[in-house]
Amino acid sequence: MTPSHQAPPKGARPPGEHDVGGHAFRDEEAEPSPPSPGPPRRITWKKLVLVPAVLTVVLVATYLWITHVELDSIARNSLAGDIVEVRWWQHVRLTAISTFWVLIIAIPLGIALTRPGLKKAAPGVTVIANIGQATPAIGLLALLVIWLGIGPSTAIIGMVIYAVLPVLSNTVAGLNSIEPTLVEASRGIGMSAMGTLTKVELPLAVPLILAGVRTALVLNVGTATLATFGGGGGLGDLITSGIQTQRMPVLILGSVLTVVLALLVDWLASLVELWLTPRGLEEA
Amino acid sequence: MNFWEYVSTRHQQLLTDAFQHVSAVFQCMVLATVLGVVIAVLSYRSSWGGSLAITSTAMILTIPSLAAIGLLIPLVGLGVPPTVIILTLYGLLPVVRNAIVGLRGVDPSLVDAAKGIGMSRTARLCKVELPLAWPPILTGIRVSTQMLMGIAAIAAYASGPGLGNEIFRGLASLGSANAINQVLAGTLGIVVLALLFDAAYVLLGRLTIPRGIRV
Repeated sequence: MTPSHQAPPKGARPPGEHDVGGHAFRDEEAEPSPPSPGPPRRITWKKLVLVPAVLTVVLVATYLWITHVELDSIARNSLAGDIVEVRWWQHVRLTAISTFWVLIIAIPLGIALTRPGLKKAAPGVTVIANIGQATPAIGLLALLVIWLGIGPSTAIIGMVIYAVLPVLSNTVAGLNSIEPTLVEASRGIGMSAMGTLTKVELPLAVPLILAGVRTALVLNVGTATLATFGGGGGLGDLITSGIQTQRMPVLILGSVLTVVLALLVDWLASLVELWLTPRGLEEA
Repeated sequence: MNFWEYVSTRHQQLLTDAFQHVSAVFQCMVLATVLGVVIAVLSYRSSWGGSLAITSTAMILTIPSLAAIGLLIPLVGLGVPPTVIILTLYGLLPVVRNAIVGLRGVDPSLVDAAKGIGMSRTARLCKVELPLAWPPILTGIRVSTQMLMGIAAIAAYASGPGLGNEIFRGLASLGSANAINQVLAGTLGIVVLALLFDAAYVLLGRLTIPRGIRV
């Protein structure tokens, strides 16, 4: 900071410098200059408010429309009681449980595949994963239903298998993209392999891992709509019963709620992504 | 009836379904590529336009495909129209994103050089920028196609064409002897077709990526 005693006419120097005999010198900073607030968190007001506001408007409009639209007995039956609410929470539960298992399986597996012992297995896993990616979600789910019977747990297994891939590949990519010198340096200052992993490698890989988790979450909301084909419930029930009975209000309500849920989950995930990314890795 | 007997007795039906699946995905992919590249060309120069294009296409992709089909049915009915719209819309995102990234990644000095030797804006775009941005665009097309193969299967629920019908027929007759054969035939068919598509793209890449930038 410019010392207050400095003569005003010499204020030609930018703050933080003073001038001695025409030469610029940095001010000595007795205390660390203004507790630098750093770059502001990237969670801005716009990010916090915009999406939920739009989604709320959509929800309110849908609610007003569905309560005022003329429903015949079939449509009323499809929406009777608290069925819409039940389906919504089923959907949320399917998404949450499957994402939980995806994290439990994919992140440790990704870490294991980048350790020296298992590194050789990585290309094989990638090939399997790519073939898995080519498998249509509905086909996978249908096969599981035939083998394991109908019910939510079958749907969850299918969703987990389907969503493991993005988290796994991002974890591997995140860990592999770390500069080897950083790992060497941390080993050099005497950190154990475990310490290096938890204090250096994982924090550096966090942005990519989180991006994978976000992809998996959004995928899971989508795959959960297919759970209805295996008796797993969820908002897909409203969509399919709307199509089967040709009742457009039921179909539209189910679809709108699914879209809102997907966008909401994506928004929440984006906030978590910003919040968990280590400060040092934030782009300026 | 085991799986191979099933396939050999129904191969006519299966081939028709497979052909329709491929043709739907392929045609929509061509449409999505053209639209995607046009959108990218129009928007990549302004940072605002580019991020708008990427954000809006990313938002479309966030929407579960079954829900999007559900929203389209009241507007365009069942069958081919919702399938085509859905496949094209979902195919757009990877193409738009990769095309914008690719076009922005072109070395400005090369564009300057092209300007310097008197090339017009259109010539610069067609002869310099797009060929240089082609590899990432092709990658986008590959990613899109993989995804569309699966979405096309779901679109069969809205009476769309393709191998998805086989899967849904199996699901509708759960417990019957042929259910597993139908589901397996549909699923494996799609996997095989997706892998064939991928191989075709590798070949297309060898043929169309300018030799100078091939890796």
